Amino acid sequence: MRVQIEKISKAFQKKRVVEDLTFSLHPGRIVGLLGPNGAGKTTTLRIILDILKPDKGLIRFDDRKMDRKIGDRIGYLPEERGLYQKYSILDVLIYFARLKNLSRKKSHVEAVRLLDAFDMIDHLEEPIGHLSKGTQQKLQFLVSLIHNPDILIMDEPMWGLDPMNQDLIKNKLFRLRDEGKTILISTHQLAEAESMCDQFVMIHQGKMVLQGSLEKIRKNFYQNMIILEMHQNPDILKKLPHVKKIDISDSLVHLYLDGNAPVKDVMQQIINLADVQRLEIHRPSLHDIFIQTIKSNTP
Amino acid sequence: MKRFLIITWWEFLRHFKSRSFLLSTFISPVIFAGIILIPALFLEDPSANRFRLIGCLEFDTTGICGKVENRLVDVNAGNPLPPFLRFVTINPDTSPRLKERFQNLTELKMELDSLEDTYNTIKERRKFIFQKPRTPGRESSLRSTYDDLIQTREARDLMQLEYQQEKQTTDSLWRIESIEYADNLLNALQLEGYLLIDPEEFRTGMVEFHSLLPSNFLEIDPLKEAVQIVIVEQRLKDEGLRVDKIEEWLDPIKFREIQLQGEEKEEFDFIINYLGPIIIVLFLFISIFTSSGFLFGGVIKEKTNRVIELLLSSVNHQQLMAGKIIGLGLLGIFQIVIWYGLVLILIAFNVFTAGEVTFLTAKNAGLFLLYFVLGYLYFASIFVGIGSLFSNEEDAHHLNQFMRMLSIFPIVLAILVLETPGSLLVRILSFIPPLTPTFMILRTPLGNPPAIDYLISVGIMLISIMIGIFVAGRLFRIGTLSYGKKPGIREIFSIMLSGK
Repeated sequence: MRVQIEKISKAFQKKRVVEDLTFSLHPGRIVGLLGPNGAGKTTTLRIILDILKPDKGLIRFDDRKMDRKIGDRIGYLPEERGLYQKYSILDVLIYFARLKNLSRKKSHVEAVRLLDAFDMIDHLEEPIGHLSKGTQQKLQFLVSLIHNPDILIMDEPMWGLDPMNQDLIKNKLFRLRDEGKTILISTHQLAEAESMCDQFVMIHQGKMVLQGSLEKIRKNFYQNMIILEMHQNPDILKKLPHVKKIDISDSLVHLYLDGNAPVKDVMQQIINLADVQRLEIHRPSLHDIFIQTIKSNTP
Repeated sequence: MKRFLIITWWEFLRHFKSRSFLLSTFISPVIFAGIILIPALFLEDPSANRFRLIGCLEFDTTGICGKVENRLVDVNAGNPLPPFLRFVTINPDTSPRLKERFQNLTELKMELDSLEDTYNTIKERRKFIFQKPRTPGRESSLRSTYDDLIQTREARDLMQLEYQQEKQTTDSLWRIESIEYADNLLNALQLEGYLLIDPEEFRTGMVEFHSLLPSNFLEIDPLKEAVQIVIVEQRLKDEGLRVDKIEEWLDPIKFREIQLQGEEKEEFDFIINYLGPIIIVLFLFISIFTSSGFLFGGVIKEKTNRVIELLLSSVNHQQLMAGKIIGLGLLGIFQIVIWYGLVLILIAFNVFTAGEVTFLTAKNAGLFLLYFVLGYLYFASIFVGIGSLFSNEEDAHHLNQFMRMLSIFPIVLAILVLETPGSLLVRILSFIPPLTPTFMILRTPLGNPPAIDYLISVGIMLISIMIGIFVAGRLFRIGTLSYGKKPGIREIFSIMLSGK
């Protein structure tokens, strides 16, 4: 199911939390919603889930507005987790499945099937409070999947999980993506997002600051930058053509070139001019892009 | 609707299975029953009733103590509560010294009696001699008996004097020892107090009451009443009136209190008409605050662990709030049904009779249930609205305590209803929403309120509930998704008024 977020805005007591935000989610893709704390990620998720109404704009699901049937096709994993500590896993799974309009029988069958798939069948009747934190996190993940949703919205899905369970969840998400599910992940863990998401939406102070696939973003951020390590004074590089700026950090020299500079030629000239120990074309990571974007968009 | 029912059932079931529900259903009533019944049992059990054990000490054998005791039984017979004064005659032990004196006194008395007999015999003999005139030796007989008579009379008078002195001293010692004995019983807390009856002073209406505490703390009014009757009885006897007539006149009155119950009239019974409704109100309040407390705590817990967001991704705010309120309301009704069942079981086992709960007619039970539902919905809307504003139980704890204290306020004010159930003040207070359920439940069996009062109170409660739920809905919608700092009063009012 395709989800179109169209120019949504939301303010709380005159404070604008989300402003004119537009992006889309597509079946078979995992979209990462990135942004610093207070950027408006959770509010955006809540608006998509119809927990909050936007002041302006609208959300379309395959060109339809949100209704109960669509709501039943969305699975949600909130950021902080707890569930009902005194109640059995099975009871809680059935309760949430029933709230997603599954019959009692189907809820039971689905709960058992999922618990078996996630190797938790032995804990079926156990109260949630008796489970380890990691197992509780996994259970919360199952709650969001119990009704086999078409759209999955997850706030920090890897939060609190050990590497093994992270892999388990990641693989499950990849399988769901391959099955054609629409997945939106909000996260702070950029390395994790980089390894999982096909597309990114970065917001800052409620506004979209970046959008697209990692390659596309990198291309936009591709700054013709060369990183090198040398014995001489880096000032000698200033003479080279196409060099805009030189930065030095951690004994590394960052050489910024013009947009249309022939990078290979410049590298050859550096080799000719200086005694270099290291010389490479810089490819920005998602982390670099995130930091740089936030810095450049903060007044 | 289906989701609303799922939430209702879930809330009902999960709290029904909780330990808190079991405690409030079975332990709280036992504690309340204990608070109410233990003092009553304490008063009813003569072996345990040392707290109001009153003694009676008299210095002769006229039996005034016994009369007072009998009259006290008559006075208590007209009291609806079990007698709280138990009356015992004090029989002091005498010391060996006093026993010796009693022995001496007895011997002196015997000697005195013997001298009296001798004197009387001589007197009789002289009378006989006098009656036989002119017999030989008459004169010598008269002379010799005269000497005997004078000697015996002198000896008797001396003995009389000695006896009187000895008796006076012994009596004084006896009084002192008896009072000491009774005081020791007081100091040993075996008695709460004792009546000291001196027959001479008793006739003048003077009776002493000795106790460690001021007598009004001991509530000895029934005792005063009994003594008054005995004194009046004594005085009437002294006036020469017939004993059977006196008994008849002093027979305690039988005061029947008849109460209008709609078109019917029923005899007023303290336990049935007074204590019963108070117990009902207390139990309904346990139920209301058990359910509202679950609601308050549940919302905060779900907010803390973000379950509320999960729920809101499946149902809307109204469905969630309504499901919770109705689910826990049904739990409250179920709790009342359990208590009603327990009452029936207790009646079946003759713990108390069906006659003691006659105020629980179908009409009254229906009214109690109506005011329970209205009271619960009113308080639940406040609790759920306020509860949703807090992100953790610690922040909400003080407010919860404060709200619970405020909720007890109607019960404290209930004394006004018990005193004057039909007064204008009570009627006005019955129309103030937080007080309405308590006041109307109490007024129903006590004051038989007019139909218009029911209509007005129900109307006011319905309007209040609608406003409460509307405001709670706004607070819930905003509050459930707000985290971070505690909301201030201004912020709360702003949300209530603007919904933003």
